Amino acid sequence: MSLAESPVYSSSSDDFAGLLERELESGSSESSPVEEDKEADDNGSDVESESRIKRRKVENAENLEETSGSTSQGFSEQKSEVSAVEDMCAHPGSFGDMCFLCGQRLNEQSGVTFGYIHKGLRLNNDEIDRLRNTDIKKSLHRKKLYLVLDLDHTLLNSTQLNHMTAEEEYLMSPTDSLPDVLKGSLFRLDLMRMMTKLRPFIRTFLKEASEMFEMYVYTMGDRAYALEMAKLLDPNKEYFGDRVISRDDGTLKNQKGLDIVLGQESAVLILDDTENAWAKHKDNLILMERYHFFRSSCHQFGFTCESLSEMKTDESEPEGALANVLDLLKRIHKIFFNELGGNLIDRDVRQVLKTVRKEVLKGCKVMFSRIIPSKVPADNHHLWKMAEQLGAICSTEVDSSVTHVVALDAGTEKSRWAVKQKKFLVHPGWVEAANYMWRKQPEEKFPVTETKSKTQTQ
Amino acid sequence: MFFHIVLERNMQLHPRHFGRNLRENLVAKLMKDVEGTCSGQHGFVVAITGIENIGKGLIRDGTGFVSFPVKYQCVVFRPFKGEILEAVVTMVNKMGFFAEAGPVQIFVSNHLIPDDMEFQSGDMPNYTTSDGSVKIQKDSEVRLKIIGTRVDATEIFCIGTIKDDFLGVINDPASV
Repeated sequence: MSLAESPVYSSSSDDFAGLLERELESGSSESSPVEEDKEADDNGSDVESESRIKRRKVENAENLEETSGSTSQGFSEQKSEVSAVEDMCAHPGSFGDMCFLCGQRLNEQSGVTFGYIHKGLRLNNDEIDRLRNTDIKKSLHRKKLYLVLDLDHTLLNSTQLNHMTAEEEYLMSPTDSLPDVLKGSLFRLDLMRMMTKLRPFIRTFLKEASEMFEMYVYTMGDRAYALEMAKLLDPNKEYFGDRVISRDDGTLKNQKGLDIVLGQESAVLILDDTENAWAKHKDNLILMERYHFFRSSCHQFGFTCESLSEMKTDESEPEGALANVLDLLKRIHKIFFNELGGNLIDRDVRQVLKTVRKEVLKGCKVMFSRIIPSKVPADNHHLWKMAEQLGAICSTEVDSSVTHVVALDAGTEKSRWAVKQKKFLVHPGWVEAANYMWRKQPEEKFPVTETKSKTQTQ
Repeated sequence: MFFHIVLERNMQLHPRHFGRNLRENLVAKLMKDVEGTCSGQHGFVVAITGIENIGKGLIRDGTGFVSFPVKYQCVVFRPFKGEILEAVVTMVNKMGFFAEAGPVQIFVSNHLIPDDMEFQSGDMPNYTTSDGSVKIQKDSEVRLKIIGTRVDATEIFCIGTIKDDFLGVINDPASV
């Protein structure tokens, strides 16, 4: 076997980088002195033989079988091992289109992009699973779950400066002349031509939630907006770190997904005001009542009433939505870690959520009066479904076990029956409020008026 | 690795820069245009160290601009596979950590961090050995080995490893 004939000994790919690589790898090939001696005998030149061994290293097993016929068995085994390791790399993910395990350039792009963590980073599904599995153990050990937070209408409300009405002009004045309730929670972002109001109770909420959860921000806004808002919410960078996800990072258009959240789905809770954004993860979702502070935001959702900003008031801090949801999160956290039996890893926060929801209207038997159109099957109506998810029993028949009649009009037959039988007669808002507040609401707060039926009969 | 090489570039200069300061203007513009850029072939241009030769200017038809072929010496930086680099950690997360060596972005996956180092989350995420003696966090300086490079028109990406002898933290900001 002479060098000139050997297929691996061609100088065509002799670029600088290649040379350096071989030089840097030279240390390892000296570990088999016996073979080297043999080779040296064959060629009579140490330098040449060394470079030949090094070149061989990068060749595939087939070539090695051919060329290593004259060398000992041990040598060829060692070589094929090296090539096997190279072939075996499963390419768990890539950075700048290079596998981050073996450094090889990858031609086809696979896996999920994690642009929110770093530009050019992609992970394969197996790797995501592996990361989630190792992470969940640590999180559970520290008694932490994952919490995904929406921004707009959940944690804050933003408006374009040019959409502000005359009644909102007072918000543009310098900070010290603002009403006390707005200090520290109203921000004017001149660069983005926006004004942002944080929801009351937000500071306490984030502080206490961070002790129970690893928190993500997930917004349908663009990246610049998401980062700016994260800065307002978390000026000391103690809550979110690099876990800020915007619509630019999502894998589906107009949808939010947990596929780019590195948390096991069985341990993730989501706070969002838009149910439709989470089509695949409704079981993880805690629906929030929308926070509208600015007029433009009310207008966008079709409300014509005066906004909180125009009335110079705000959501209640101790009884607002965030205080309420924090209480719910604490309850869920406690049930998950202290009250559920079995292995921590097998527990599912979605089940807890379902159970807690079922407790809300437990023991109530709800009948709907002129709410559900007679054409559609009753159990398909959203209020019916909502009441059932909240643990109530729904009924279409008048019967003595019914506890609540839900109606828009006190003049219907069922409504009159309810009044006569001293059953609760409530507005549909009672069910919706219970759904948002996760507690049964006082029935007196949701009276049904008879005005509509009077005008009809007149 | 750094290289001191000679490169050539055609500089277009507006006539208002002509006059006795022509040469200075040309050099100033060259520095502005070239330093900090990246070419796939040579890597990142760190600094211009000298001008070898400025050729005869040629007036461009129609515009009045004059183009000068300029030969200049410069220091370029280009990472190679197998090279050992010292870099500053910029971000640490579950997947591994990112580090920078000047303009070069390096990612070290948690597969290529020694097995005895474990990820610790919190407001200062880090990788720490079980006895707590070695810690990698933001702003740590690490010595790593490049196992893959990609040099783009404007960026250099690298994959690194610290799973080898004599690699890892060389200066821990927490202990200083």
